[in-house]
This record gives sequence, structure tokens and C-alpha cells, in this order.
Amino acid sequence: MPAAGRVEGTLLCHVGPHRIAFEAGEVASIAAPDTGTVSAHRAFQGDGGAQRVLVTSTGETVGVDGLEIDSEVLSVLPPSPLVAGASGGSLRGFVITRGVLWPLLRLEAFQHYLRGLDGVGP
Amino acid sequence: MAALESETRQSYLVFACGSSWYAVPAEAAAEVVTFPELTRVPGSPPHLLGVFAHRGEVIPVVDMSLLVGGVSAGSRRAVLVRLSRGTLALTASSVAGVSALMGPLEPLGPSGVHVHLRGPVKSGSRDVAVIDPEGLFDHLSQGG
Repeated sequence: MPAAGRVEGTLLCHVGPHRIAFEAGEVASIAAPDTGTVSAHRAFQGDGGAQRVLVTSTGETVGVDGLEIDSEVLSVLPPSPLVAGASGGSLRGFVITRGVLWPLLRLEAFQHYLRGLDGVGP
Repeated sequence: MAALESETRQSYLVFACGSSWYAVPAEAAAEVVTFPELTRVPGSPPHLLGVFAHRGEVIPVVDMSLLVGGVSAGSRRAVLVRLSRGTLALTASSVAGVSALMGPLEPLGPSGVHVHLRGPVKSGSRDVAVIDPEGLFDHLSQGG
């Protein structure tokens, strides 16, 4: 199956036992959590908090447990139609690095999806 | 094309998931695999256990027992069902093999996933639900 593009510079994030990734260019800064942080645990039906916070260019935040930076150029594998609509359509595809698959998400859309789970408007 | 007729004379791959038996058209059943550690997709329903990479494709794994009966079969093996729109893996606790099944192919329920399970048909002494793979794929793609 052909790749759905490439990504150079990826933030690999840990959320409990789960993994998610974002293109580094979508992350304006990394901060400490505060009371307004929405945790990525919600997308996995979990209630965990956050140790690190990814901040979008518009100031929205997504909390994760931990993160590492991958500077390699990675191919993006397209998502199956079965999972393409998960997490509010924020799933861009998958990347393989560190020997495992990582769901690659659009940060802003994922943040809106998490806000929607909380019943809070985007 | 793996379309189902109103009465089957096709060959099917028959497999168990938990205590229930299912069948998929043999032409759509690509292979039986033992899948590795899965990557969970954020926001996915519980019956979509996760995805794994196989021959350059990211394949979603569906626990039929969890989808139909609400109880996980806990299997690490799956039947890969290959359709023109993509491949899905259906968990299988055991595989009986390919059989020619005889019987009607009426939907086993009026709504939900049961619309895409047809029968009743017999494989030996087993009651088997025949999966309409295209319909199931549509159902799952819509978040079902």
C-alpha cells in the first residue's frame, strides 16, 4: 500500500500503555500541565492526567504522560476506513518507528475531539 | 466480489470466536495469522482491538465475540478478510477449515451487526453465522 506522505520531525507521545504521535511542526511549545489541560487519556476511555502538555499555535493544549522526539523522515501509512473516523477524524495515518506503530494525529483536530468528549465546545 | 446470495452454495472459511462459529466466503479469506502486539487507535470502540502492520498495510483487528456478544474472546489469531476497500482481521479462537455450506442466508437480526450476519446454516453439527464481509466493513466503518 502506498504511503500517505512523509513527516519529518515527530513527537512520540506515551499515554498510559498507548502511543500517539504528532508532527513536530504542529506543536508550538511544550509546557507543564495546568487545570485547563485536556488529557489524551480520554481518547482511550481512561481518566489519567498529564505530565507534559503540547500547546498548539492557537494556545490549545493536549496532555500526555511522556514524550520523545524523532527527527527521522518517516513514511505515513494510510489508515483503514475502519479507523479513519476514530478520534473525530484527527487520525492522519500511522508511522513506524522504534519498531512499533504509532497513530499520527493532527494536533488541533485531536484537541477539538478531546474537548468534545468533555462536552466542551472547541 | 464476496456478495452473498439468498441461499448459499459457496465455499466458506469456518472459524470460531469464543463460543460462536462464523464463516466468511473463502474467496475473501486471505490467510490466518497470529498477530503481534496491537496499537490501539484513540477514539476507537472496544471491539476494535487495535491495528498491526502486515505486508506494508495497517490492518485493524476486530474481536467478533466482543462485537456480537459483548465478551472478548481473548485470541491472538485472526482471519484476514481482504476486500477491495481494505483488509480487516477477525479474531479466531479456532479455525475449522473451508466447507461448502448449505442453507438460507437471512439476516440474523433486524439491526446493528446482526444485519450482516446471515443464516442459520450448519457446518456439521455447528450452527454457523455467515458474515457478509462488505456489509460488516460498512458497519464498522460507520463506527458500529
